[in-house]
Amino acid sequence: MTRSRPVVAGIDAGGTMTDTILVDQSGEFTVGKAATTPQCEALGFLESAEEACHYRGIGLETMFRNVDVVLYSGTGMLNVLLSRTGRRLGLITTRGMEDMVLMGRGLQAWSGYSYSDRLHAVTHCHPEPLVSRLDTFGVTERIDHFGDVIIELYEHEVRDAVITLIDRRVEAICVCLLFAHVNPTHERRIAEIARAELKAHGSETDLYLSHDVRPVVREQSRLNSVLIEAYATGRGRQQLASIQDTAARHGFRHTVQTLQSFGGLTSIAHPHLHETMVSGPIGGILGAQYVGRLIGTDSLVVSDLGGTSFDMGIITRGQVRIEHEPVMGRFKLNLPMIAMDTIGAGAGMHLKVDPVTGKVSLGPDSAGSEPGPVCFDKGNLQPTVCDCDAILGRLNPEYFLGGKVRLNVELAHEAFRKRCAEPLGIDNVHDAAEGMLTMLESEASTALRRILSAQGIHPSEYALLSYGGSGPLHLGGYSRDIGFSDILTFKFAAAFSAFGCTTADYQKRFSRSVRLDVPLAGDEEEMSHVARRIDIVWNDLRRQAGNQMKADGHSANNVHCKPFLLMRFTGQLEDVEIASPIELVADSKGLETVVATFVDTYRKINRCVSTYGQAGVTIVELGVAASAAKIKPKLVRKQLGSPSPCQNTHKGQREVYFGGSWHSTDLWEMDGLQPGNEIGGPAVIEHPATTLVVHPGDQVFVDEWSILHYRHG
Amino acid sequence: MKLAHMMDGHRASKGPLADQLARSERLFASTGHYAGLEDLELRQADPLRFETVHMKLRAFCVSAREMARRISASPGVREVGEMVVALYTPEGDAVALSNGIMVHVHTMSRFIKWMIRNEYEGNPGIAPGDIFANNDAFIGTVQVPDVMDVIPIFHEGRLIAWAGAVCHELEAGGITPGGDVALAQERYAEGLFVCAEKIGVNDTIRRDYVIRCERNLRMPIYWVLDEQAKVAACIYIREQLLELVADIGAETLVSLCREFIEEGRRSQLARTRQLTVPGTYRGHAFYGHITSGKPGFQALGDPDWLYAIPIEMTIGVDGKIMLDFEGAQPWGYHSMNCTPAGMDGGMFVTLTQHMNYEGMVNAGAWLATELRLPPGSWTNPDRETCATATSWALLLPAFGVFQRLLSRGFLARGFVEEVFVGQVNSPMIEMGGINQHGDEFGIAHFECAAAGSGALAIKDGLDTAYVGWNPESDMGNVEIWEQEMPLLYLGRSILPNSGGAGRFRGGNAFLSTWLVSKTDELRLVTSEHSSRVFDNAGMCGGYPAPTCQVHRTVRNSNIAQRARNRLPLVHDLGPGQDRLASRLDGIHEQTEGPFIAAPMKSGDIFTHSYNGGGGYGDPLARCPKLTLTDMRNGHSSRRHAEVVHGIRFLESSESELAIDWDATKQARKSMLRNRLERARPVSAWLSEERQRVMSRDFVPEVRKMYAAAMRLSPRFAAEFRQFWSLPSEFSFEDTGAGKDPSK
Repeated sequence: MTRSRPVVAGIDAGGTMTDTILVDQSGEFTVGKAATTPQCEALGFLESAEEACHYRGIGLETMFRNVDVVLYSGTGMLNVLLSRTGRRLGLITTRGMEDMVLMGRGLQAWSGYSYSDRLHAVTHCHPEPLVSRLDTFGVTERIDHFGDVIIELYEHEVRDAVITLIDRRVEAICVCLLFAHVNPTHERRIAEIARAELKAHGSETDLYLSHDVRPVVREQSRLNSVLIEAYATGRGRQQLASIQDTAARHGFRHTVQTLQSFGGLTSIAHPHLHETMVSGPIGGILGAQYVGRLIGTDSLVVSDLGGTSFDMGIITRGQVRIEHEPVMGRFKLNLPMIAMDTIGAGAGMHLKVDPVTGKVSLGPDSAGSEPGPVCFDKGNLQPTVCDCDAILGRLNPEYFLGGKVRLNVELAHEAFRKRCAEPLGIDNVHDAAEGMLTMLESEASTALRRILSAQGIHPSEYALLSYGGSGPLHLGGYSRDIGFSDILTFKFAAAFSAFGCTTADYQKRFSRSVRLDVPLAGDEEEMSHVARRIDIVWNDLRRQAGNQMKADGHSANNVHCKPFLLMRFTGQLEDVEIASPIELVADSKGLETVVATFVDTYRKINRCVSTYGQAGVTIVELGVAASAAKIKPKLVRKQLGSPSPCQNTHKGQREVYFGGSWHSTDLWEMDGLQPGNEIGGPAVIEHPATTLVVHPGDQVFVDEWSILHYRHG
Repeated sequence: MKLAHMMDGHRASKGPLADQLARSERLFASTGHYAGLEDLELRQADPLRFETVHMKLRAFCVSAREMARRISASPGVREVGEMVVALYTPEGDAVALSNGIMVHVHTMSRFIKWMIRNEYEGNPGIAPGDIFANNDAFIGTVQVPDVMDVIPIFHEGRLIAWAGAVCHELEAGGITPGGDVALAQERYAEGLFVCAEKIGVNDTIRRDYVIRCERNLRMPIYWVLDEQAKVAACIYIREQLLELVADIGAETLVSLCREFIEEGRRSQLARTRQLTVPGTYRGHAFYGHITSGKPGFQALGDPDWLYAIPIEMTIGVDGKIMLDFEGAQPWGYHSMNCTPAGMDGGMFVTLTQHMNYEGMVNAGAWLATELRLPPGSWTNPDRETCATATSWALLLPAFGVFQRLLSRGFLARGFVEEVFVGQVNSPMIEMGGINQHGDEFGIAHFECAAAGSGALAIKDGLDTAYVGWNPESDMGNVEIWEQEMPLLYLGRSILPNSGGAGRFRGGNAFLSTWLVSKTDELRLVTSEHSSRVFDNAGMCGGYPAPTCQVHRTVRNSNIAQRARNRLPLVHDLGPGQDRLASRLDGIHEQTEGPFIAAPMKSGDIFTHSYNGGGGYGDPLARCPKLTLTDMRNGHSSRRHAEVVHGIRFLESSESELAIDWDATKQARKSMLRNRLERARPVSAWLSEERQRVMSRDFVPEVRKMYAAAMRLSPRFAAEFRQFWSLPSEFSFEDTGAGKDPSK
């Protein structure tokens, strides 16, 4: 079938599968899927794009020549961080602060924990540091919070440290000095010395400076940013470059875009890629927010179960929660990020039984897509969750990825028997396999309960939205007994993160730290002076934003710049961000308007009683948010029809193992289901890219948006 | 007994709330169940709704706390999280609480009950929109900086609940800056008191109250904005609760809250039965406090306090935990006395970390436990004008003992992974004077909230990431603290060997080194020290948590000159590495805490270290690989590894050290043999010690310590004499230490 030409291509490269979604001018979309190719992500990207083009009836060249936006996101860099497979780093910091990497401010021993584990002190432990203490060197220097140099930099110590790190063959050198975000002189000088030494030694070791990577206050967070940038994004940048080359080779004329952690699109040349590390999962949240708005379900818990991780997020009354000091892999950052929680749990995870203790472990390592689970028959003999799904009849061996991969169930059965069931002393292989699935689902369910509890959210007021290639497969299990108001999934669940990415607009934030105290009882002149200083910074940032957006290919009349301010009552430690009600402050009257907006916003957030006007008001950051809109996909609303699905949607029956016995189970083609259809369990609803398992006694209903609602019996 | 204590000293009171409180207490006394609830009818009828509502109430508290942290100007609250928010029944019993400083679950409860008993219903009245505050430990808090705010929540004219919040203030306006005023020997030196005062009406804090704060505190913005943050948090809870009431009805909510508490009581009993073995457990800690020659101490009693802290824990077959402090010494003219409210705090913070961490903790846990606090002792002073500014000094060792007693119970029951040697003191530094902006200031530096913990039975203690009073440990960012004080960090480094040795060592602490900058008047003070006696033990052969380190200063240092010449400064300070003395010219001072000295100025240097935890198990059983990793990370020195753990190394460069396994085995064998050679039968040792006791062959502080305890407690005295087989008239020479001058 030939449809109109796509204008947006969204690609989400997960740990196991790469999804491509093509969106046309009218918002219609098609989805392609292929195995992720970690060694060269461009291969998986191209294959999934090809499949999406195939469903749309166009060739790759046609697609790439026509699309305005290619949007690439993924979890590759995050997985590098979580699996500690990044680069060997060296660190140069202010002398005396070297132990920061081990002490982690104390709070990293429990950050990211559940309510109960935060209190239960015996569970606390420090995360493994990203840089060895032995590769951390202090250099004598001190700059204070005013930016004044109190102790000059000891340059000979810098040289010694750099030479030692070169000798130790570190792959990147990070520099993080106290208050470098206020005065970067010493960091810059260290960079000069380091570059000279690197050159002299013929070394190509990369250099990362904290004031450059994340110029914000709080040294532990800035250190984490610079370390993560150096540790995990090096390979990611190469991968993105190869995506760009591949797209360009097929006729794409622009720069490939990716998604920042707060939800805006940016070019893959973005200098601080750690700000895009969780782009894939965030795409899912943006998509859920967009869909929620369309269908009128505005409070959602989203869950994405893929091959390697289980990601969760929350949308309350249409608003995503922005975390300003998020925790990524147990490291505290100072970065606006759509709040997400992740645990290592996915269908590709290896299942292991300790031969001595008989203890079962799920992951944390995963079979990935290459060689993949045992049933892929590509050489892996360590069983995975996916193999259990195949053994129990929940996956169709002839229809995995639409039949592109034929599953060798016998091989999986045999491997699972030998490596899991027998060491556990369980005769019935199917009981053992079902037990493994229960473990995975219970882990996901516990994680959901934990974030609900941590955020103080009651499930009865939220709908659960499930996506990811393995989400629908295990949805019935992990959503049971939590008490959500509704449980939703999609026909395109497997590519939902990619879909979500395409709902984002281009956004860039340009900001500058300032310290402007608004005079308490200031006269006209003092107030006007502050107003003029604000306007000077804003105008400067507008120019910067305009140039950058132009460089990214946006025409000036498509770019909207909104000025914003971060303000606080003088003395407070947390700011409130307000969108300025006026384009320029101009004079004292304008400043009064801005302050009134701040007080009003502050009161809404923090209640009237918490205002403290006597303290005065301070502006700590001025910024401009530049955005350019782009075409978004649409969901089509149809009339509800008959509860009975069309007979040609019924694909027959298969024996599927549920609750310790085999059940004769109806098989349905997901794409054939129409609004109004109801399917009772046991049933398996198949799609080329995903499988929805309906447990006995449960039911699935298709609504007018073609969204599938899972109802527990 | 608990009830009798609660009622002790209070007048009969009037008003519907007072009647309600009296009825509730009568019902508990007569039935043993909270509010007389022998059956949890609402739970039985709809267990799902029961859990759901309780989860919601806790969620309200968690969210309210997060909101309040955004408002605060204090790094103690914003950066380090020294805050808790909770919901109470009309009678003042805790129903649900947020995370944070769990100490205050029952202290706020005491505050509410105190107001009810003192006829606040009549005058000053309890009405919608009212705001009440308190920081008087004898009414219900731990120490002056712990300022709490509560608001009544009304529905259709009926008081259905209270919301409360407490923050630890970084400045309390005492005789020295900060809040933990070690120099306070009476209440009158501790700072600004707010004694169960109505500080606001119509959801607005009174301007005159704010003015009082502004004129009596060194850094009013912390206190005032925290006050506003707490009230905002309480209002948030009220809004959420009234929405819930609209859904389920006020009567149902009130009834559910009562059931939550009774369920909390039963859960606490059940959890204790599950995790421990019933019986009597005894433990002991000591605490020494040096005041001789310190400027500012008045001659109100003998200086140099030594406290023995004996605790007997009884676990009944029903799961009830009773802690008996009989043998505790009298209160004294120092800042370390503690009120029963503070003792409750210690109990709660310990229980929430070991048994009640799943979030269902409330007043029920208090009802399932009992504290026996001898009147007149430091745990229950009979003079309400005594100082309590640094009650943590004795509370932490005391509840460290409680943790080890519980751990013995866990061990006996087989819950090895729950065993935790526990908490230690972590001396706090406070300061004031003129800051780097040229303004007067005052602040308590809360990086002490990240000390080393005691070891566990399965792994080393937490390094630089634990304090007993708040399990969510956080030292805060240097870049935030430096904005608040005229000190520049020259280092914040792990202090090697600062945890007690053991098969699993105690967590290590850290050392901060500062350069005074941009001020000519910096007043530094510290509190909570035990520099000569171990204030917390190890377990099962592990060494105790080390004593507190001395403070080191260099006045008029030549650091600027050395920096200009690019000469090494003060770094790499560790045990046995006195870089300060060898590198800096100037006036060098070593001061045993508490540090109370003349103001410092730009160019001066100050170092301050925090405490590590006690160890678990025999240090000779430690895996050498663990110590090697410790050495690589600066947690252990080579000398420590050799002398304490008997580890031997192959000669190689320091960075590539390798273990000499054979030599280690031999060395350990030899060390064990030496131990055996030194060993004597216990009976012989006891006999010698008895001779010492008989001849009172102890330093004066020890004699005074036992004399005071025996004078206060005839039971302790009798047990002491019986244990050592002493004549019935035996007593220690009594110099009057700790004697209540009023008697």
